[in-house]
Amino acid sequence: MFSRALLRTVNPLRISIRAQSTNALSKTALPFTYSPSGPSAVKYTNQHEWLAAHSDGTAFLGITKYAADALGDATYVELPEKETQLEAGEAYGSVESVKSASEVYQPVSGEIMEANNNLESQPQLINTDPLGDGWIARIKIAEPDSLESQEGLLSLEQYERSLKEDE
Amino acid sequence: MIRSIRFNSTQTGLKKTALHDLHVELGGNMVPFAGYSMPVVYKGQSHIESHKWTRSHAGLFDVSHMLQSTLQGKGAINLLHKVTPTDFQQRSPGVGTLSVLLNPEGGIVDDTLITKQSTHDFYIVTNAACAENDSQFLLSELQSVTEAKWTPIRNRSLLALQGPDAHRVLKPLLAWDQSLTDLYFGHRRTYKLFNGTYIDVARSGYTGEDGFEISIPNESASDFVRSLLDNQLAKPIGLAARDSLRLEAGLCLYGNELNESITPVEAALSWVISKNRRNITEGVKFNGYEKIMAQLNNKTHRDLRVGYKYQTKGPAARTGSKIFLPDGKTEVGHVTSGSASPSLDNLNIGQGRVLKPHNKRGSNLLVQVRNKLLPIELVKMPFIPSHYYKG
Repeated sequence: MFSRALLRTVNPLRISIRAQSTNALSKTALPFTYSPSGPSAVKYTNQHEWLAAHSDGTAFLGITKYAADALGDATYVELPEKETQLEAGEAYGSVESVKSASEVYQPVSGEIMEANNNLESQPQLINTDPLGDGWIARIKIAEPDSLESQEGLLSLEQYERSLKEDE
Repeated sequence: MIRSIRFNSTQTGLKKTALHDLHVELGGNMVPFAGYSMPVVYKGQSHIESHKWTRSHAGLFDVSHMLQSTLQGKGAINLLHKVTPTDFQQRSPGVGTLSVLLNPEGGIVDDTLITKQSTHDFYIVTNAACAENDSQFLLSELQSVTEAKWTPIRNRSLLALQGPDAHRVLKPLLAWDQSLTDLYFGHRRTYKLFNGTYIDVARSGYTGEDGFEISIPNESASDFVRSLLDNQLAKPIGLAARDSLRLEAGLCLYGNELNESITPVEAALSWVISKNRRNITEGVKFNGYEKIMAQLNNKTHRDLRVGYKYQTKGPAARTGSKIFLPDGKTEVGHVTSGSASPSLDNLNIGQGRVLKPHNKRGSNLLVQVRNKLLPIELVKMPFIPSHYYKG
């Protein structure tokens, strides 16, 4: 026998020790290498998403190492349909672990160009390389020129600091 | 993506088990559970790794939050025969069984493990989350029974050591003349440790694996756990894996599969209703007897607990997800527990309640997850073979 399920309503998620650099973009995977010189900007949200913008006006999206650790083993990733138009803050997919499902939200408005189909057969890429091979979607950013002025987008340093302050 | 990423683990007023400090030392991620601060996973082992370790080696769980108690006296059997549908008269001393506490309407107040220690002495384990409710229920039922005393045990910890290597981990810590080979599934006995400490060991658990539930004085618990974990075959395992293990084993979780409005027949637990407790003409009838016997004899119940497997990949159905006929319109039930199954390569499985006659094994139904309808097949439980030690 076993007692009432509280687990499912809980995000049981305190990650003890993290190295500073773990939420940085992987330099060897597509979100970085898509442009020969790397992305033009990498931004984070306080909901633990990242965005890697490139000079052609598209951006890769994914979840941070912190979020991937907190979720635990990814068992399924619900991917967005191509050409879907989404506003900033709208859910574009979800990441499931054994215990829970968490939606992932668009950091900025845009249109889905492609989803990372490798996640269908290898959802664990979310855990092994969340800021690289575990990217979830690539979007065409609606207003690529106003990225720096957009509210709610953090630099890596600001994001890491916000994690520390939360502790 | 995660609106509130971490649980408030500094929440005050949580009770701690005698092993709390050791959990923290071992890297346990402590969360509130049934009023206790309990480890959900341990550092360095993911949920799935913890799950698979238990299935392949030995997992050690602190289940001290569960309520241990004794029921003693000449009236003890009368009380048990009123509040459970299980026979305890003919049961041999030293043998326990899963059962359920029944309210007057035949609904399940809690699920429980009850062991007959001797003719007038029973050892009971009930759920932590139900402790207050169970206590009120038992104390009220005791008013109609003479010569029975119910006593919660507060000074002992409870551990579950589960998995195919569980006996290899426990055996070396017992005194030289103590043997586990004739302790069969459901049996419970006092053992002496190498250092002279006495522990009570039941061959039971809630994972579907061979294993033990061990009751030990609080002051000896921490040292004993360290000794068990000195063995490379054993690792501490948290509540996350405990839940996925019990789901694969087809076992019920109170609050999900069981509640006060569900009878044991509806919960597909008719086996807890002993043969000689049915069709009673004289003697004690259990609570809800008329309703439960009508369900057993005339199949008057409307729905039943079932198990299902997904037929495709997809997001897991969770508690409350609706179940439909293949037409996608006719609702015939809902999910009570659901998740990916680590032992089945993360295939989605679950339990639910489905209206008759759609509850039959092999039925193809649909489950709704957000805006998707996903095909499921009703299957026999457990989802993976059990490995109980029956000698």
